[in-house]
Amino acid sequence: MRSESSERIKLGEFEARIARGEKIEPGDWMPEAYRSQLIRMISQHAHSEVVGMLPEGAWITRAPNLRRKMILMAKVQDEAGHGQYLYHAAETLGISREEMLEALLSGRAKYASVFNYPTLTWPDIGVIGWLVDGAAIKNQTMLARCSYGPYSRAMVRISAEESFHMKQGKEMCIRYAQGTPKQREMLQDAINRWWWPTLMMFGLPDDVSKHSELLTRWGIKTRSNDTLRQEFVNELVPELHTLGLAVPDPELKYDETNRNWIYGPINWDEFWQVVKGNGPCNEERIAARRKAHDDGLWVRQALHAYANRNQVNKTS
Amino acid sequence: MSDTQWPRYEVFQQDRAGRPHRNTGSVHAPDSEMALLNARDVFVRRPNCVSLWVVPAEAVLAITLEELEDNPDLLSISDEAETERETYLVFRKQSQRNSMTYVSHVGEVLAKSPMEAMRQAIKTTNDQQTYVWWVVPEKFIVKSNEEDISSHYDPAGDKKYRMPQDYRVLKQMLDYRSAREGE
Repeated sequence: MRSESSERIKLGEFEARIARGEKIEPGDWMPEAYRSQLIRMISQHAHSEVVGMLPEGAWITRAPNLRRKMILMAKVQDEAGHGQYLYHAAETLGISREEMLEALLSGRAKYASVFNYPTLTWPDIGVIGWLVDGAAIKNQTMLARCSYGPYSRAMVRISAEESFHMKQGKEMCIRYAQGTPKQREMLQDAINRWWWPTLMMFGLPDDVSKHSELLTRWGIKTRSNDTLRQEFVNELVPELHTLGLAVPDPELKYDETNRNWIYGPINWDEFWQVVKGNGPCNEERIAARRKAHDDGLWVRQALHAYANRNQVNKTS
Repeated sequence: MSDTQWPRYEVFQQDRAGRPHRNTGSVHAPDSEMALLNARDVFVRRPNCVSLWVVPAEAVLAITLEELEDNPDLLSISDEAETERETYLVFRKQSQRNSMTYVSHVGEVLAKSPMEAMRQAIKTTNDQQTYVWWVVPEKFIVKSNEEDISSHYDPAGDKKYRMPQDYRVLKQMLDYRSAREGE
């Protein structure tokens, strides 16, 4: 009984710290559910960065000019780095890098379902930057203020770098919009395919999102899925219209009273199908990660041997 | 050999000459030489670095203000061996603001053990608000070389396309609109 009440006191102090805007750091007391929810979120987020390299990486060799190629390589390198920042943040909660890697390679781990869609044409690269990274930034900016220090710091760093990702994509889309009828058609086709998967990135609607309440109370998520989604739609729709592009939503309409662009129903059945592994590219993505891991074995062995040899030389 | 995870190294980055080294996160590597290279790839893709330090994560003794308040006896744990005093680097977290970095290098102490170093670190800094202290034996810290700056860190400065300022999307969008309105 005594331990139960001391646990309650600790929880009260913990929630007071969060209410005061303090960061929780490794070593500080935290409820078990805070730890496990953060491990779930941060590791999924790390996997998303790592898998997120694949749809765009596929186009590096086919970039139309050197500038675009350098930009795309830089962006994919950033995503590799972002995965590293996030794995580090998760490790501070007691899970090992190996466990997370194993979960990804075995196909058990979840990651952003948007990366299970294929990149069919070069304009997809622009649209991913503008829409997908634009949506990601909404979430990341919120998480940069989250209560867990290591996650917050990773997100501050990621948000700063992600702004380049969004802008290079937007610039590509503006250029394509000024192009030939065929180029405009390709851009519109890419928007048609990425619009809905992008809206799904914000997660389930607020009334069914099961984790939201606790995550809000503990200062991890400070804004709701639907709030962020609405903000994104309100920003994107006028800009797409400016470029003479259509939003692939027949029910989209402007609500004068709330000044919101009201979007039609999101196909959550499709979302669940993709999350469960039945998206267009789920198997391909995991197979690519496994191949990269297996093909990298000789590099890891060589580095290990080199480190051992130096160790022997130092001690002898 | 077994293909398992390598040890973790904490990474400290210095933005500019004269600024303190600050912890940015950690990397895994088979040795400190590789840890420095990994740290460069993970943390220095932008022009914001003149020096990196790495240290095996297990060599860091960390204590948070909350741990200290919860358990004031923590500091009386005796771990002093009959050894010579050595130099420990002291790092602190002094703000709760959102930041890219964690603890910053603030100075050195001489001590016979990590706990003794921690006691001194806390005593000498108790006039300023501190949320986290780290002490690290200097002998375990591996530093990048001055001559690596031009090859490892400077090239990031030429890659302007990595910076959001390189994209004038607002102007491009306005230009597009006025061009269409003129049609």
